[in-house]
Amino acid sequence: MKLKPDSKVLIQGMAASLSSPYITRMQAYGTQIVAAVSPGEGGSSNNLPVFDLVEQAVAEVGAIDTTIIFVPPYQALDAAQEAIASGIKQIIITSAGVPPLDMVRLLRKAEANETIILGPNSPGIIIPGKLLLGTHASEFYTPGAIGLVSRSTTLTYEIALELTKAGLGQSIGVSIGSDAIIGSSFLQWLQILDEDETTEAIVLVGEPGGNSEEAAARYIAEAIDKPVIAYIAGCHAPAGKHWGHTGTLAAVVGRGDNVGTAKSKLEAFKAAKVPIAERPSQIPELVKKALKRK
Amino acid sequence: MDLLEYQAKEWFREIGIPVLPSQRIDRPRDLKGLKIPYPVVLKSQVRTGGRGKAGGVKIVTNTIDAIAAAQAIFNLPILGEFPEVLLAEAKYNSDREFYLAIVIDAVARRPLLLGSTQGGIDVESNPEALQQVVVERDFSPFYARRLAVKMGLQGEALASVSAIVEKMYGLFVQKDLDLIEINPLGVSSTGELMALDGKVTVNDQAIARHPDILAMAEKNASRSNGRSPLAQVGKWNEVDKSGNIAVLGNGAGLLMATLDLIAEASHKNPAVCLNVGHGRIVADAGLSFCDRVVQGLEFITQDKSIHAILVNILCSVPTTVEVAEAIANFVQHESKTHKTRTHLQHPRLVVRLAGTDLDTAKAQLDAVQVVSSENLDEAIAQVVRFAKSPSPRRSSE
Repeated sequence: MKLKPDSKVLIQGMAASLSSPYITRMQAYGTQIVAAVSPGEGGSSNNLPVFDLVEQAVAEVGAIDTTIIFVPPYQALDAAQEAIASGIKQIIITSAGVPPLDMVRLLRKAEANETIILGPNSPGIIIPGKLLLGTHASEFYTPGAIGLVSRSTTLTYEIALELTKAGLGQSIGVSIGSDAIIGSSFLQWLQILDEDETTEAIVLVGEPGGNSEEAAARYIAEAIDKPVIAYIAGCHAPAGKHWGHTGTLAAVVGRGDNVGTAKSKLEAFKAAKVPIAERPSQIPELVKKALKRK
Repeated sequence: MDLLEYQAKEWFREIGIPVLPSQRIDRPRDLKGLKIPYPVVLKSQVRTGGRGKAGGVKIVTNTIDAIAAAQAIFNLPILGEFPEVLLAEAKYNSDREFYLAIVIDAVARRPLLLGSTQGGIDVESNPEALQQVVVERDFSPFYARRLAVKMGLQGEALASVSAIVEKMYGLFVQKDLDLIEINPLGVSSTGELMALDGKVTVNDQAIARHPDILAMAEKNASRSNGRSPLAQVGKWNEVDKSGNIAVLGNGAGLLMATLDLIAEASHKNPAVCLNVGHGRIVADAGLSFCDRVVQGLEFITQDKSIHAILVNILCSVPTTVEVAEAIANFVQHESKTHKTRTHLQHPRLVVRLAGTDLDTAKAQLDAVQVVSSENLDEAIAQVVRFAKSPSPRRSSE
């Protein structure tokens, strides 16, 4: 993953003025947005050249490192395929509610082209004080050494705020997205954070549904050297409700009843000897303890 | 969205998956015009499992028995659900029963073919017999044959079962399904296959791009009589009927964390949670974030069993000041309205806002006597205190 402050960034989808407040915020944060693509809206807006096609943008401004997609969910597959066709290797999809089979098609293609997909339904990536790729509310973050990876949006802010208030700045904040089928996984981000020189400890925030937290717990035990703290939201949430996050899509025929529950995730982290915070406000103290032990 | 068996079987028939002759029964007297020869199986059309054990499936041999059985099934709730229709189907003698299904595996992020030669009610008790094939690249019939071979099938059975899996995959993709399942797939003594029961779940996020399925979903929605706000306000979750706290928040993860904190502080889950979504998500109907918050509050306030409401919002677009202003206006408007009917007081409101300009936001809420806090734990403690204090609604003015 290339995450330098001078990375060239494209915005796909400016229609409905949805992305423009976020474009302004990213620009104010110093993100190098070089162009936007919005079919039928070619021209300029937000002090940006706007193109009808991604290939026109690339021809004009040169190679692009990352594209951030803000199109309606049924158009996300097309937008991402257009980006891949123009050789863009990092794609962030903020759109929520992309149909799972669209994601299956996209991920087959992305893997074949060695393209990283973050999301869908993701606020993107923030490197506090340096780079904002997506819709993260930057006011909750402060520069520091804690890597934060989660699946949700506002709950990520909640944790960032707790860390910030406790004097623990963050090296990277990333949400892998809340839709059922998503691109990059907890595993990939744990690896990125483990290799990142600024990051000294990692906070992983999970929730019921799927089994990516369980996979992450096993991976932490096997491969991660830095201290990791886990927090799972939704321990009291009634099973089977997906709360607007569709990450709980079962896909668990014949795999027992416990799959994807908060309990199963807690057990996995316990087995991996990862300290578990009972509430967001307990996270800073566990992080400090883990850093001392290092 | 889960389809009923008869709807699933209509799709099966259209794509060429073998199903028995059957007829939809809307009322018992429909059985007088039955075109299928007896004996006939009458099946309750409910979405829950276990209907056979519950008495929702009956074999009948003549019209008089059939009408009596249909009346009994129409009046039999299965896990609380009454059938709207029954399915009358020819009886079938299977020699063996198989299991076939396709789902999306969220970890592999690919469709997963599942099959077992021990189908019927035995499938869950024999997980080791359940074979899996991940459809790694674009689908091609060899994936279906791979499953049939793993199931231990040979010769004609290999060809016929993989042909059905191929058709199931066609439906899976064409209709944007989360699940398609045939259980049992009856196998006759001559090797003929028959889909005896079918389960189909359409992915909710994809429904809107299929006009035919959207029509079915709208019909379902008009039938359900549950009390919930308009869909464009947010996602409504009834958690605990005996609870008296409502939570309104922006984001599912945040709501789940809030729910946990309330459950631990009060040893009781909140009654309802309303997720108004974050600013990034704009509903087609075009309700602004603040409109969703206010309409959500209006809806919750009508519920007399709610003693206290916690609003938990972390935001930057819109700003905390805009959100606080919307809430303050709502409170003012409500108290004006309620001057004429003083017995109806507000449930107590606690607002937790986080973001920038909190002092201005707090001042706006203070001005209308609404308790607010940036600290989540404090806000939780406050709303739990309000919920435990005697209901303000009974206070005599």
